[in-house]
Amino acid sequence: MSGHLARAGGSLAATTGFLPARASSVAAEVDWVFGFVFWVSLFFLGLIVGLTLLFVVRYRRRPGRLEPEDSPSHDTRLELLWTLVPLALLMVLFGLSTRTWLRMVRGDGAGGTPLEVRVTARRWSWWFDHPGGRGAPELHVVANRQAELVLSSVDVIHSLWVPEFRLKQDAVPGRFIRMSFTPTVAGSYPILCTEYCGTDHSRMLSRVVVHPDQAGFDAWAREGAAPAASLVEHGKRVFAQRGCVACHSLDGTRRLGPTVKGLWRRRERLADGTEIVVDDEYLRESLVKPGAKVVAGFPNVMPPLVLEERDLQGLGAYLQSLSERP
Amino acid sequence: MTTAAAQLPAPERPVPSYLEHGRGIRSWLFTLDHKRIGVMYLLAIGAALLLGGLFAMVLRLHLWTPEGALVSNDAYNKLFTLHGAVMIFLFIIPGIPAALGNFVVPLQLGARDLAFPRVNLLSFWLYVVGAALFVVTLVAGGIDTGWTLYPPYSLEEARGLGLLVALAAVFVAGFSSILTGLNFIATIHKMRPPGMGWFGLPLFLWALYATGIIQVISTPVLGITAAMGFLDRLFHLGLFMPEYGGDPVLFQHFFWFYSHPAVYIMILPAMGVVSEVVSVFSRKPIFGYRFIALSSIAIAVIGFLVWGHHMFVSGQSRVASLVFSFLTLLVAIPSAIKVFNWLATMYRGAIVLKTPMVYVLTFFAIFGVGGLTGVFLGALATDVPLHDTYFVVAHFHFVMVGAVMTAFLAGLHYWWPKMTGRMYSERTGLVSAALVFVGFNLTFVPQFLAGVAGMPRRYATYAPGLVVHNRLSTVGAFVLALGLGLALAGLLASLRRGRRAPANPWGASSLEWAAPSPPPHDNFATTPRAPRPYDYAGLRFVSEEEGWVREGTP
Repeated sequence: MSGHLARAGGSLAATTGFLPARASSVAAEVDWVFGFVFWVSLFFLGLIVGLTLLFVVRYRRRPGRLEPEDSPSHDTRLELLWTLVPLALLMVLFGLSTRTWLRMVRGDGAGGTPLEVRVTARRWSWWFDHPGGRGAPELHVVANRQAELVLSSVDVIHSLWVPEFRLKQDAVPGRFIRMSFTPTVAGSYPILCTEYCGTDHSRMLSRVVVHPDQAGFDAWAREGAAPAASLVEHGKRVFAQRGCVACHSLDGTRRLGPTVKGLWRRRERLADGTEIVVDDEYLRESLVKPGAKVVAGFPNVMPPLVLEERDLQGLGAYLQSLSERP
Repeated sequence: MTTAAAQLPAPERPVPSYLEHGRGIRSWLFTLDHKRIGVMYLLAIGAALLLGGLFAMVLRLHLWTPEGALVSNDAYNKLFTLHGAVMIFLFIIPGIPAALGNFVVPLQLGARDLAFPRVNLLSFWLYVVGAALFVVTLVAGGIDTGWTLYPPYSLEEARGLGLLVALAAVFVAGFSSILTGLNFIATIHKMRPPGMGWFGLPLFLWALYATGIIQVISTPVLGITAAMGFLDRLFHLGLFMPEYGGDPVLFQHFFWFYSHPAVYIMILPAMGVVSEVVSVFSRKPIFGYRFIALSSIAIAVIGFLVWGHHMFVSGQSRVASLVFSFLTLLVAIPSAIKVFNWLATMYRGAIVLKTPMVYVLTFFAIFGVGGLTGVFLGALATDVPLHDTYFVVAHFHFVMVGAVMTAFLAGLHYWWPKMTGRMYSERTGLVSAALVFVGFNLTFVPQFLAGVAGMPRRYATYAPGLVVHNRLSTVGAFVLALGLGLALAGLLASLRRGRRAPANPWGASSLEWAAPSPPPHDNFATTPRAPRPYDYAGLRFVSEEEGWVREGTP
C-alpha cells in the first residue's frame, strides 16, 4: 500500500547520518559545494569565536589593567582587507555553486531521450503518468537515463523533494514546471512534500523506484498496462492509484477519514446527527461530493474527485467486496 | 563652557522623573512622552513574546514523538502559524526599534521627544489594534496557512474568516511600523544637538535610521499585498488565485519584497545595540565608525534586492535565480565588516563582563552561525536540497531569535537602569545569559542536522530516525525558556530590590547617560552639547555615586 511504503521510505532519509546517500548524477558535486561552504564557514566561525575568547581573556578589565591600551580607532587598510577577502571567497563560491546548479537544472542528457513523466500533485498524494500509459502513485525511472518530470498541481502549491537526489522543485497550480535529473543508483528513495499544503502535509510521502535498466522499467510498465481482470480489480487499482488509503485505512486504523474496513452496510452517524447506512448511493455521493454527508467526528477535508464512470463503478464494487470476505 | 552632564547629576533632584510625571492609567495610555510609549511597547512586546513562546513550547512538546505527541495535525499547523506571526509581527519587528528605540532615540540626541510625538502614540495604538486583531483571529478559529500566507492555500474559502482578520491585522500592524520608521528618520534628520554631525551619531541611531528607510519603503508593499489578498479572496479578482486566472508566485514576489528586508528591520537595530555595548564595555572607541555606519546603509540598500532567494525552487526564471543568488551573497559583506570591526573594538580594550556585554559575546557566536549558514542558502547549488527544510528553520532562528533576542536582552539590561532608575542583579543576569546561550544552541543546532538529514519544515509528523534531533531540540527549548524566565524575574525583582541607578552606571559617553536615571519628563533641562562619539577620555568613576561623571568639556 502506498501509505505504508511511503512511511518506510520517509525513514530512509533519516537513517543515513549527516547527509543522505547519493543517488543522482549531481549529488556528489552538490555535496562538494556543501563541503566547501561548510569548511570555509567553520573557519570563519572559529576565527570569530576564537578571537572573542582570546580578547576576553587577555583584555579583561582587572586590577592593574583598568584602562585600555592605546590602539587606533580605525585602519582603512585592515578594514578593506576584511571586506575584500570575504568578497573574493563569496565570488569564488558564486562561481562554483552556479556551475553545479546549472548542471542540476539542465540535466546531463544521459541515456538518450529523457524519460518524460508527468507529475500531478494533490492534497495529499502524488500521481505519476509514465511513458507507455502506466500511471502510479510512485515514480518509476531508470538508472543512468535522464528523467524529465513535468510538474503540476490540481489544488495548492506542493514541492517534490528526493533528498538522495539533492533535488527539489515546486509544483504550482496552473503551471507546468520541468525538472531534470539522472538517477545513478538503482533502489527506492523517499519523495517528500516540502511546500506546506495543509492537514497532512507531513504525510504526503511517496517514493521513487530506480530500475537498474530499461528492461526492468519496461516490464514494470507493461504489467500495469494489462486490462483489469474484473471490476473489483479495477476498483482496487483506482483506490490505490488515487491514494485513498492515505486517509481511509483498509485495516480499521483511524486516520483522517473513516476506515473502509467493513464499510458496506455499516451504520454511520453523520455530523448533523442523523444516521445512515452505507450503500451504493451514499458511496457514490461521498466520492463526487465528499462534503455532503460527513461522518461525525471526522473533518470535512476530502477533495471532490473527478472520476470516470468506470472508476466509480469499480470503487463501488471493490469497497463492497471488502465486507463480503469472511 | 559647562556640559549638561556636569549640571545635572545633583543627587537631590527637584524635577520628578518621567515615571512620576502624571499619575493614573490615562496619563500612560494617552501620553505623548516617548519614554512612556517605549515602556508601553516593552510591556506589549513582552506579552507577545510570552504568547509566541507558549505556542513554541506546545510545538516542541508535540514533536517529542514522530507521530506527534500532543495535538492533531490541524492544531499543529495553526500553532506554528500563530507562533510565527506573533513572534515576527508583534515581537521581533517592533522589539528593538519600538520599545528600546522609542526610549533611547530622543535621549541620545539630547532632545525632549521624537519629531512627531502624536504620530508616535498613534503608532503604538495601531500596534495594539493589530495585536488585538491577531487575538480575534485566534477566537475566529485560528489560521493554518503559515505566516507566509502563500496562496492558493491561504485564499481558499476553507480558510474561513480567520484569514481575513489576519490579513487585516498585518495591514494595521504594518502602519504602526511605517510610522515608527518615519518618526525616527525625521527625528534623526532634524533634531541632532549642536555639535553632532552625521558622523557624530551614536551607531545605534545609524542602525535605526537604516531600519527606518526599510520600514518606510518596504512595509507599504506588505500592506498592499495583504489588501490584494483580502480582495482576491472576497471578490475573486484573479490576482493570486490560478482558478480565476491569477498567479500564486506573484504573491511570493510581493510578500518577500517586504519580508526579506523585514529581516534587516529585525537585525539592523540589534547590530546598533551591539555597537553601543561592545564599545562601552571595552572602554574603547568603536573601531572603524564609518565602516560600521555605512555598512548599515549598505545592508538596507542591498537588502531590497535579494528577495528572490526565497523562490529558488518556485519555478522562477534561471536568470532571476542567478541574479538573486549573486546579490544575496553580496549582502553578507557588510555584516562581515561589522563583526570584524566589533572584534577589533575589543582588541586591547579593558573588557568588563557585565550582563549586556556577555549577551553581546553570545551574539557574536550566534550571529556568526546564523550569518554563515545563510551563505548555504544564498548559493544555488546548496539551497536546492536545503530549501524548506529544518536547516532553514534553524538558520532563521539563529538570526531572528538568537541574534536579535540576545541583542535585545543586551540592550534591555544596558538601558534598564536608565528606564527604571534601578540596577538589576548582575548574578541573575549572567546566569540567565548563560542559560539562554546553552538552551538556544541545544534547541537549534540539532535542527540544522535534521534538515540536512531530510526533515522538511512545517511537518507535524516526521520519520522515526529523526527522533533524537527533535528530542534534543525540545529539551533545549525548555532550557531556553528557563533562561528567559530567569532574565525576566531578575529584571522585575530589581524594580523593588535593585540599587538606585546613577545617571551613568556604565561609563558610556552618549547623551542618554547625561540625563538622570530615570530621566525627567523633559529629559534635559537645557539642550546639551554632544560629546565626540565613543569618547571615554573625560569620564571618571565617582565611588560615592557608583557611577561615572564627565569632567570638563568634551
